[in-house]
Amino acid sequence: MEVTGIPLLSNKYPVTMDLWPLEAKEFNKIYEFYDNLKAGRFTTTKCKKCGHVAYPPRIICPECYSEELDYIDLPKKGKVIVFTEQLRGVPLGFEAPLIHAWIDLGVGSPVKRILSRIINCPAGQLKEGDEVQFAVFNVPAHPIEIKKETITAERVFFAFEPVVKKAND
Amino acid sequence: MNKRNACIIAAGVSVFGERQAHLVDLFQEAAKRCLDDIPGLKPKDIDGLLVATSLGGRTSTQVNTAPVVAERLGIHPTSICTRLDTLCAGGNSGIILATALVESGMSDVVMVTGAEKLYTPQRWEVFYSELNVVDHDWDATQGLGLPPPFFALHAKEHMNRYGTTKEQLAAVSVTNYNFGAVNPNAQFQKKLTMEEAMSAMPIAAPLTLYDCCPITDGGAAAVIACEEKAKELSDRPLVYIRGGAQVALHSVSANWPGEHLADWAHLRLAAKKAYEKAKVGPDDIDVAQTHDCFTISEVIEVEEFGFCKKGEGGPYVASGQINLGGKVPINTDGGLLSCGHPFGATGIRQSAEILKQLQGRATFQVQGAEIGLAHNLSALCAEHTVVIYGREPVK
Repeated sequence: MEVTGIPLLSNKYPVTMDLWPLEAKEFNKIYEFYDNLKAGRFTTTKCKKCGHVAYPPRIICPECYSEELDYIDLPKKGKVIVFTEQLRGVPLGFEAPLIHAWIDLGVGSPVKRILSRIINCPAGQLKEGDEVQFAVFNVPAHPIEIKKETITAERVFFAFEPVVKKAND
Repeated sequence: MNKRNACIIAAGVSVFGERQAHLVDLFQEAAKRCLDDIPGLKPKDIDGLLVATSLGGRTSTQVNTAPVVAERLGIHPTSICTRLDTLCAGGNSGIILATALVESGMSDVVMVTGAEKLYTPQRWEVFYSELNVVDHDWDATQGLGLPPPFFALHAKEHMNRYGTTKEQLAAVSVTNYNFGAVNPNAQFQKKLTMEEAMSAMPIAAPLTLYDCCPITDGGAAAVIACEEKAKELSDRPLVYIRGGAQVALHSVSANWPGEHLADWAHLRLAAKKAYEKAKVGPDDIDVAQTHDCFTISEVIEVEEFGFCKKGEGGPYVASGQINLGGKVPINTDGGLLSCGHPFGATGIRQSAEILKQLQGRATFQVQGAEIGLAHNLSALCAEHTVVIYGREPVK
């Protein structure tokens, strides 16, 4: 793959131009979140000492600084509070209309609200109050050099999508 | 020992826009205009340098920017020489820190300068690089870089709760564009009519083109000095930095600190802290520069600063209270909407206008202005920074 103006980057992986997180255990200590994501789970960390739930996941509790944390599941369904469809200035790697929603995860959720892209949703369809659900998808893998070997780190990420009502509902 | 007072004595702003210039060129342009602001101020008078730039490391491939800038400006710092990165608030972060350095006696005369070179040889890259300006792994991964979608959500929430209208949003852009129309440094030196604002191309509903500030290259510089040095170096009326505050309660949008998106609790706290430090209240503010990155931002800011009641920001801005002759004229040089927004430079550009206003030499002069306020928000409204200036020091 030729890189115009920067021939030395041909066939190289420039991490500074990578949109997605480095999810592999070689590069972060919250890899369990991403492993859970691969299994379709939406999780975050809860402190075993004081019970505080933090999002995004941590390696220390931001309340009591304990390192003893458990991964707990978060709600995978929510309701759209407000949303917008971006038509111009969409970042590279995304397509217009890019739909963003501020989602209410419910009174019982330790994380009350979340901002997410709404995928699998045609423009002009979403309404305030609509139910949306957690969705996991593959994102590009990247190489990691480990000693003399190069491995491929597979990756996933998440967004929300409309809950499709079945015909007989 | 009594606390020393810090004064802003000079400021200069480069031409803002899509500039045919390198990042270090923009710093030099700004510094020249700053030192030209008062005759007699020379690089050798400056003992500290604070440099605000956020994307320099990415778009100009230069980190550790401060010594590079110091050398190009002929400044030889002996008290401080460092770079700050709080994105949109870099300039006002620098002014707060310079004030503390001067008041403490650590420094006597500090230049605070900020610049960004955002336009790259191919335009896609800035749209892509902007994914780095929000909490990367958690918000940028949702396709959020340039922030119009996030502020569109604030606007919808404000409209749903308080009945704010698109015309009221447009009143902010019309007011600020009309101030900026005669500013020779502004990116858009043109007037805007309500009809143009209302029929502009959509960006992210309800925001249309003129609701959003542009992408901008530019620089600005200001000099903060102790009162004694200020009297020695300048013949103009003294302008004191009375107080400031910077509040950051969250980073990832899911941890938004307000009850809802139209509730900017962190700005309310920053305003309260800054008012307390400066020993003033909202009724004392004669002129303000609030962060109009989007029209909805200014609508919510006038509420959270206490210029009007919560929820009444829409009618307040539309009734001319932000214009010359209104309760608090805001963004009298054009603001971010008309001047543009080179992140690290913006807070300093704001200070340049407040300095002129309090010295009675602004283009759109607020008669007898005694107290001025400047404000930045950063990234996805994650941080609020406020600086309050006055003709008199805090007693």
